[in-house]
Amino acid sequence: MFNIPNFILPDVLLLIFPFVVIGIRLFVTTQSKVPWRMANIGFIAIFFLLNFIPLASGNGKFFICNWKVDDFGVLMREVLMVSALLGMWLSKDYFEHGGDKKPPMHQIAEFIGAIAFATFGGFTVVSACDLLTFFLGLEIATIPMYALAAWNKRDQYGSEAATKYILMGSVATAFELFGFSYLYGFSGSLHFNEIQAAVASGSSPLLWIAVLFLFCGIGFKLTLFPFYTWAPDVYEGAPTPVTAVLSVTSKATAIAFLVVLVYGPLSPIQDKMAPLIALLAGVTLFVGNLGALKQSRLRRFMAYSSIAQAGYIMVALLGPATIAKTAIIYYLFVYAVSNYLAFFVFGIIGHHREETFQSLRGLSKQNPSLAIALAISMFSLAGIPPLAGFFGKFHLFFSGASTGHYALVTFAVLNNVIALFYYLQLIKAAWVDEPDGHLNPLRLTKRQREVIILLSAAVIVLGFLPFLSNNIFAGFTN
Amino acid sequence: MNTILFNSIWVLPLLTVLACVLVPATYEKTLRTIHVTSATIVLAIVCYLTYAIYALSGTPTDPAAAPLALRFFTDIPWLSMFNAHYIVGADGLNMLLLALTAFIVWAGVLVSLKIKGNQKIFFALIQLLATSVYGVYMSFDLVLFFVFYEMEALCMYLMIACYGSGKRDYGGKKLTLTLAFGSSMILATLFGLYFESGATSWNLIEIAKTTLPMDFQMWAFPLMFMGFAVSSSLFPFHFWSPDGHSAAPTAVSMLAAGVMMKMGAYGCLRVAMFLMPEAAKIWLPYVVALLIFNVVLGPFIAIRHKDLKYITAYSSISHLGLIFLGLAALTPIGLRGASLQMISHGFLTGLFFATIGMIYERTHTRDITEMGGIMRKMPFLGVGFVLAGFAGLGLPGFSGFIAESTIFIGAFQQDSTLTRIVTILAILSITTTAVYILQTANRMLHGPLPQKYESLTDGCFREKLVIVVLVACLLFIGVCPGWISELLDQSIAPMIRW
Repeated sequence: MFNIPNFILPDVLLLIFPFVVIGIRLFVTTQSKVPWRMANIGFIAIFFLLNFIPLASGNGKFFICNWKVDDFGVLMREVLMVSALLGMWLSKDYFEHGGDKKPPMHQIAEFIGAIAFATFGGFTVVSACDLLTFFLGLEIATIPMYALAAWNKRDQYGSEAATKYILMGSVATAFELFGFSYLYGFSGSLHFNEIQAAVASGSSPLLWIAVLFLFCGIGFKLTLFPFYTWAPDVYEGAPTPVTAVLSVTSKATAIAFLVVLVYGPLSPIQDKMAPLIALLAGVTLFVGNLGALKQSRLRRFMAYSSIAQAGYIMVALLGPATIAKTAIIYYLFVYAVSNYLAFFVFGIIGHHREETFQSLRGLSKQNPSLAIALAISMFSLAGIPPLAGFFGKFHLFFSGASTGHYALVTFAVLNNVIALFYYLQLIKAAWVDEPDGHLNPLRLTKRQREVIILLSAAVIVLGFLPFLSNNIFAGFTN
Repeated sequence: MNTILFNSIWVLPLLTVLACVLVPATYEKTLRTIHVTSATIVLAIVCYLTYAIYALSGTPTDPAAAPLALRFFTDIPWLSMFNAHYIVGADGLNMLLLALTAFIVWAGVLVSLKIKGNQKIFFALIQLLATSVYGVYMSFDLVLFFVFYEMEALCMYLMIACYGSGKRDYGGKKLTLTLAFGSSMILATLFGLYFESGATSWNLIEIAKTTLPMDFQMWAFPLMFMGFAVSSSLFPFHFWSPDGHSAAPTAVSMLAAGVMMKMGAYGCLRVAMFLMPEAAKIWLPYVVALLIFNVVLGPFIAIRHKDLKYITAYSSISHLGLIFLGLAALTPIGLRGASLQMISHGFLTGLFFATIGMIYERTHTRDITEMGGIMRKMPFLGVGFVLAGFAGLGLPGFSGFIAESTIFIGAFQQDSTLTRIVTILAILSITTTAVYILQTANRMLHGPLPQKYESLTDGCFREKLVIVVLVACLLFIGVCPGWISELLDQSIAPMIRW
């Protein structure tokens, strides 16, 4: 039999697991909830398995791939699992109440399976230590997303979005592969340690071309300027849970890719890459913020907001490894929770109404709890204390400032005012505008209410209660 | 025991909010009772602690907080990644500001018992705002300080936009975004302060012990000072205040003008000037030049306005300008005057907005040209308004006189022609202040009573109680300012480092 090392166990389980879920659905009725329950149990089990850190970290060779699971890998997997779990709950919502265009219930098994595959890709990215595995991971993380984006075959916008996404994504992949090939050409090895040694021993134009292409390639996936243009269309066209997964899991995978590279093989030239990173970060967050100002459709708005968030995350990459990794992981946690909270609210609105600002009118009078949840998630994304988003951004800026990039940090912080403006636009629609009689009434099921309360509480508490931030930091310093 | 009580000042409002989450929104009476009780308890605690600090003066303060003379000092590790701690402490200055806040919050809760809309959310937001203000005054850790400082933005917009009047969305956004702009400037410099000082924590006292490089101070001080000054509406960042105040509901105007605008001046003194004294000495003369707008032109603008809240807002702008005059004097007496003015103006503007709100509830207009003869129907509210006006124009006997004269003495002590000229202009501007206050009082309270106001009634018991308490505070400070000056001097002396 295979000799499976401990540290790879969660990955292997996550890989087997979608097959089990999809397999089960062959043997049950179309309305059965068994695949969903299985998926739920499986995701939660893997999440808890990950928390068992002695089991989960280590390095070695498995199949033909080199693996190295360190603290960053473990924590990043937890982020991805949280995102997958929440994405799955959101899909359940979508499949049960998703309005006219919703796909048939029995497809949920495949849907969740695709999310699991994307998550597995993320797992691979954070634990790879050679270029081949690394590239495989990135592709495994991306290809299921293409399928997910095109899930509503009959929806014209959905198909357009998926086509755009596939085309753009393929180009990005080509860029990455090209960058990898130059990196290989420069160092003569696929293994990260040897690449790092080669990079440390001297740089050449070849290396810089590789770096440039790598940043271009990942720029597509992380929606960095100037490669972000696909995001608003895809975010709007794809089904709600896909948009949410796209904005969290994909983004987390892409940023993990950068973290692995910048603090791994490319770490000797991190300070030389700083101007490039700073430029990308500054322009991206500015463009994202400006783009969000004039949006009137909720998901386009979230697309631009998440472009800006990508810019903020990039700021952290300027710092030293420990601080930057803590900051990014903590931020991804709180970003995931805040973003999913927003998407749960938008999902509920989208089930009954069009997803525009207009549909939010009078929400605070008709459904105060939903309006409060919306305000909490928006204020958190805007970075207003004491909500988690503020502490997340504080971590990021702290990391950027720790190497003396005060100008960029000041620029990013001032950009927050623009961000606050457009988040307030949304809150205004929900809290200030008078109710509109033509809008369909909203109904919340018990489960939706529970999820929203849970996420709202998490957004409030994760910030000022120090356990999450302190534990992540302790994980890196021990 | 006192330390626990001190920490409970900001915890209690938060607990009240949590407790009210469980009460359904339809039980409005229960909710109101809970909030009034909580505000009263906090007020009692703060009054007791203020007395305790006064009674303790002369005894040694907490050595951990040296050179500042702090008591009830608490230091608990909080966020380990950037060594943020939970550090709170009290000296005379912040204790008096806490007392001011507690009074205004208490009064604010009382005046808004009849507010329309979802009361559960409104009172929760008021308590959150109170938490934020208490926290700002108490904390001595820069991260903690900033968290509390920025928290206000969350509450202010919702309160103004949902419960305000007139252009409430516009006013609320203008206020929130301008304040957020200010706090962004502060946040940007905080990182610089931490890394450039080489300190191992964000403890204000520890950073003060290090010497910050001069080139850093030169860019950081103006950024931070102006960041704080935004919330104290220093020119050119004053524009949010008239629109914001006029759109806000009564309690929010009271809190915003009464205590929130003091947070900015307090931050300027406690953080910017205390940590970067060398740059303060170089930059503050330029601030004096900005004050010409606040102090001299502010009152003139107030004369031309017809809306009561706009008049009061511009009056606040001019009074807050005096605080900065006191700060820019860089003399102990000037700083004492500035601190006195913070407290005095808090009470007087609270009284102003409270009476305006009560009158507006009855007349449904704030336009003074449409009013007249109100004194005949509402003598109590009218007298309250006039007394607030008198305190505002610096009538001896009220707190305003003490504070302003101290500022003028302090500012004149400074050996700079510009400061002296501005001081003289500021003294002259009291006349302008008298013009708009007397003109407003005259148009509103006297003259023929319009037909539609025949059925108006005077204030009810709780409204009278608010007015009486606030007037009593103004008189109390005005008649016996000695003990306050004593408390202030003890806490200001260690902060003078230039």
